[in-house]
Amino acid sequence: MTDDLVKILHGNTFVVSDARGDIEATPADAAGLFSYDTRFLSKWVLTVNGERLNALSTDDLSYFETRYFLIPGTGTVYVDSKLSVIRRRAVSNGFRETLTVLNHDDKPIDLSLRVEADCDFADLFEVKDKLAKKGEYTREAGRGRLVLVYVRETFRRSTAVTASPTAAVDEQGLTFEIHLEPHGSWEAQLDVVVNFPGLEELRAPSNGRARARANMEAELQRWIDGAPRLACDWEPLLNTYRRSLVDLAALRFSPVSAGRRSLPAAGLPWFMTIFGRDSILTSLQALPFTPELAATTLSELGIRQGTRSDDFRDEDPGRILHEMRYGEMTAFEERPHSPYYGCADATPLYVVLLDEYERWTGDRKLVRELESAARAALRWIDDYADLQGNGYISYQRRNEETGLENQCWKDSWDSISYSDGRLPGFPRATCELQGYAYDAKRRGARLARTIWRDAEFAEELERQAESLKRRFNRDFWVEDGKYFALALDPDGNQVDALTSNNGHLLWSGIVDKSKAKAVVRHLMGPRLFSGWGVRTLAEGEGRYNPIGYHVGTVWPFDNSFIAWGLRRYGFKDEATRVAAGILDAADFFDGRLPEAFGGYERSVTKYPVQYPTACSPQAWSTGAPLLLLRTMLGLEPEGDHLIVDPALPVGMGHLELLDIPGRWGRVDAFGRGRVSVGKKPRLRQQLGT
Amino acid sequence: MADQTATFFESLRRRGHEPLLELAEGTLRFDLANGGDVAHWFVSVDKGDVTVSRSRRRADCRIRGPRAVFEGIATGEINAMAAALRGAIVVEGDAELLTLFQRVLPGPPSSKEAP
Repeated sequence: MTDDLVKILHGNTFVVSDARGDIEATPADAAGLFSYDTRFLSKWVLTVNGERLNALSTDDLSYFETRYFLIPGTGTVYVDSKLSVIRRRAVSNGFRETLTVLNHDDKPIDLSLRVEADCDFADLFEVKDKLAKKGEYTREAGRGRLVLVYVRETFRRSTAVTASPTAAVDEQGLTFEIHLEPHGSWEAQLDVVVNFPGLEELRAPSNGRARARANMEAELQRWIDGAPRLACDWEPLLNTYRRSLVDLAALRFSPVSAGRRSLPAAGLPWFMTIFGRDSILTSLQALPFTPELAATTLSELGIRQGTRSDDFRDEDPGRILHEMRYGEMTAFEERPHSPYYGCADATPLYVVLLDEYERWTGDRKLVRELESAARAALRWIDDYADLQGNGYISYQRRNEETGLENQCWKDSWDSISYSDGRLPGFPRATCELQGYAYDAKRRGARLARTIWRDAEFAEELERQAESLKRRFNRDFWVEDGKYFALALDPDGNQVDALTSNNGHLLWSGIVDKSKAKAVVRHLMGPRLFSGWGVRTLAEGEGRYNPIGYHVGTVWPFDNSFIAWGLRRYGFKDEATRVAAGILDAADFFDGRLPEAFGGYERSVTKYPVQYPTACSPQAWSTGAPLLLLRTMLGLEPEGDHLIVDPALPVGMGHLELLDIPGRWGRVDAFGRGRVSVGKKPRLRQQLGT
Repeated sequence: MADQTATFFESLRRRGHEPLLELAEGTLRFDLANGGDVAHWFVSVDKGDVTVSRSRRRADCRIRGPRAVFEGIATGEINAMAAALRGAIVVEGDAELLTLFQRVLPGPPSSKEAP
């Protein structure tokens, strides 16, 4: 169903409508105009002489603008219409809709054109959970303006609709009585403006007052021009790359009070907000392409870093936030998202991103500015995250009503299981958290030594990292299976399912060299590798389900980090196979990778089966092809130089990434593929097998 | 009723330097309405150096609301961000300053420090 919906957005204001441009939301349906987690229009229906229109075509002009070509008619039977209506809609602070009516007849015509408008002012959480409203609704119609208002105590949200030329306004909508000469045309503009009294100033200037469309177009072009240029003889990659850059631009979001800076939000439509984990991982993926995203992510998450203990929000000093929301339920503390901190990985990953950002950009100033934030994050690992006093990060929510049970990226209820399918109790110490902690300590040590000039702290961190690595390789290693357990349970026993988390462990560097080969054999073996990518949970495990959200599907983002991990341990060919599988899959989705797809064996389905989800594009799926480009080219900063060590999939003859920004200025990277000697080089349609 | 807001600001004044505010620069103005009266507090921050004053000065961010709401915020009973979202306090100007200032506000008294 969601495939028929047209979505356009600007920042976290977005519109979801049908192919005609109409909005008819049911209480639990995602159609509407949304801004800052609140629905500002739940009905927006255009009629001509009381009749609905039919869509001839829909034309996405850009991520923030769509054009709908419409004709009156009877639905199924195509009539040679003497009339057409063009509806052009651009999102800004609300949206602007331009209606053009064309009379193709050689007779004049009189028409009544009407737009019906209504709003339920639902909080996104209410839409998701189908909850009832607690406030009062009013409408004000008059002086060419329809204002829809929702009030609950001091909480007030309103939507104002105005038209030019002026329309007749009643409480249900706006009507234009128009006269068209033979072959004549008529045009009107409708402005829908969302309003948060008392909160206006809280919103970022870049999201405030409608930004001119020309500016937004120019800005998108600047964004694309600022990224490295890609050249490759395997054409689908060019499309995927461009799609990723445009989607990443669309997913940028300026949080309240961030000024004009933006960072990646997690995904459209439900997740257009800051998520600590998603914003950090997407910034890591995009570092070689758009390092400014990492800078904003680090600053904004630093400003909002936890400073106190708050059980409702699962906040601790030093903890990096999980999710920020602005809707009614958050405002009345019926949900903890102001912001919510229940996330166990974002805090160590924050230090990882800070170090990686400096290695690429050489921006020592930001690293100095964020020194106390990074130190607080490192302290959180030892002082607040070690819930069992065993030297490992584990999680258990303190907000038992509306907090998150699983505070790792696999956050669904059944994602953490033993091999036989049982679920462990809490606290849970998942393995990748220990890898991130190890990496954070190592990287924190580098920053302490080279930039904060604190050799003592650096040595302390390195000692801790070494001890953690030693204990981890002993306690998490499943001896008879030769892989790392998914987690330790509250009794310190191994939660022994075989999962993709092993790949994240390679990325973090916590895996003993002597164990890497066995881990890689599992990752690339038939139980985990589907041919498209590494499954979240291995075939044969108790809870394995090829279309289970975190228990068998393949996640492109997960695989991009696994590929990075494989490169880190020198497994070039294996990294290339993962990249090839995911990039092939991307081609099936016209360059836009979904959040996840089915874990079915590639040779069986021949195409990747999309996981049924409403969230697309998703930031870290959008970032996956970027990180895969990095791993295929083997890009690694080394001092003021960029090391290039390419390994391309068979079937890709050459790959060039030009003008890669970094502390070296701009440099180019070239990779040549392995083509059979003596034969004419042949490019296959698909890279993997 | 004890003036918790005054106690909070006085304690901030005594601290002089507050590491949690090192990323902040600018002046916040708090207008506390109590019946017909409005009490003002001004907090200027320069990279962690804090000056607290009752006398008028130019502010980059103004926060106004009922005194009772500020009392709740000063004791940690009310979350400032949620209060702003529901219009219980109104924020004008550079809202990033309030986001930063929240760092020195106490958490709920019912939540205990973990370690």
